[in-house]
Amino acid sequence: MVKIYVIDNGGQWTHREWRVLKYLGVETRILPNTTPYDDLVKNDIDGIVLSGGAPRIGLKDNLGRCGEYLENADFPILGICAGHQFIARFFGGKVEPAEIPEFGKVGLIIDKEHELFHGIPKKSVAWVSHNDEVTIVPESFDVLAHSDACKVQAMAHEKNPIFGLQFHPEVEHTEYGMQVFKNFVDICKK
Amino acid sequence: MFDAKQFINESIQLIREKIKGKALIACSGGVDSTVAAVLVDKAIGKNLVALHVDTGLMRKNESQQVKKLLEDLGLNNRFVDASERFFNALKGIIDPEKKRKIIGELFIRIFEEVAEEEEVEHLVQGTIAPDWIESGDQLRDTIKSHHNVGGLPKDIKVKIVEPLRDLYKDEVRAVARELKIPIAERQPFPGPGLAVRIIGEVTREKAEIAREACYIVENEIEKAARSGLMELPWQYFAVLLPLKTVGVHGDQRAYGYTIAVRAIQSIDGMSGAYSKIPHEVLDRIATRITNTLGDKVTRVVYDITNKPPATIEWE
Repeated sequence: MVKIYVIDNGGQWTHREWRVLKYLGVETRILPNTTPYDDLVKNDIDGIVLSGGAPRIGLKDNLGRCGEYLENADFPILGICAGHQFIARFFGGKVEPAEIPEFGKVGLIIDKEHELFHGIPKKSVAWVSHNDEVTIVPESFDVLAHSDACKVQAMAHEKNPIFGLQFHPEVEHTEYGMQVFKNFVDICKK
Repeated sequence: MFDAKQFINESIQLIREKIKGKALIACSGGVDSTVAAVLVDKAIGKNLVALHVDTGLMRKNESQQVKKLLEDLGLNNRFVDASERFFNALKGIIDPEKKRKIIGELFIRIFEEVAEEEEVEHLVQGTIAPDWIESGDQLRDTIKSHHNVGGLPKDIKVKIVEPLRDLYKDEVRAVARELKIPIAERQPFPGPGLAVRIIGEVTREKAEIAREACYIVENEIEKAARSGLMELPWQYFAVLLPLKTVGVHGDQRAYGYTIAVRAIQSIDGMSGAYSKIPHEVLDRIATRITNTLGDKVTRVVYDITNKPPATIEWE
């Protein structure tokens, strides 16, 4: 069974991420973001999800030990909301308060084909909840999707399986959220 | 996917390991606490006392219905009317978090009194995932203190057992169906009851208005859903706002409160889209509320915000 753990950065939907993975037949657990990298990899995991977090956490804080995971991991990492923003900052990008914060329903437009979005139409409905956003994308990343008010709804590392999503694929109201997770699980299986 | 049968078997085992001797369950009559009660009943039988507290903030005829439900389910049940205590405790309180904490504490004090009489050590609660998620912790912001988690006082004499902690409502419903519990599809109703649907100070008079308005909203929406005009939302109710506005009733000035109608579509309450209720149904709701409540309510509005940014209940 593929094993993907959820790193809890204090999001409202951390437990939903766990639920979606569980529903996809993944062996999963929620671990606090203070878990040392060595303890994390002892579990022989195939991937991790960096959850979202309380307001503004993506803007400046260290986000627990998420940096350690990004530095050392040889498995896929999916960052969501604050997790996504932290990935951007870690790789040299920039996160700032959004000019127009988005809460609730947005139209998601996919800009670049990618295995994370396999089987998802160019335009769909996604659910968001963020005050801050990625304003400068790290050089090693490609932007995969945007919405009206947010240029970076999704990004992926050019070479490594590291992905960031500003929207929340784990909530019921994101039309193709389950599909995004399915695709991530497939990536972790490789 | 979620396997309700497996969950039931595993949790009965776990409950037997956790609870030695007698236990008390606080039963609102909603899906969560009823499912928890039936699970614990299956595990320890008559050693479980199912307690329903009438807070005075329940919906129309609800406490009587709950009493009957607990009897029909064959549970060893007790009933306490504590409405006077709840209204007294809430006097002058406006802050929603204070309301929730006062209600949470009063519930626990009543449970402790009954626990002492019944000589039980364990208190079972129907807590589900969104309750502790939204109540906040070291890592998570407090969105609202659910009375059974964030509203608990620090000094509690009973040991708390929560068999549904990792489930969401849709999963609890699947368990309820498997257990053949008749209220499996009942819409959620918050633990603090109408107190969080009365914005501002809670009084007996306002509770009566909110109760009647909630009844009308439920009744009209259920009728419309039955006749195929709309889908039954996840949750649908009325909120009494402390805001007074001007009306004209029979050529006379009226000055009454505002009722907000809320209806939302969701499966687990963690995100939600407001329901697109047909205008003819909204029309019926508004007319019936203002006609029934006379000069007490002069205006009815419809809440069109999703979650997020708004939450489902207003407080």
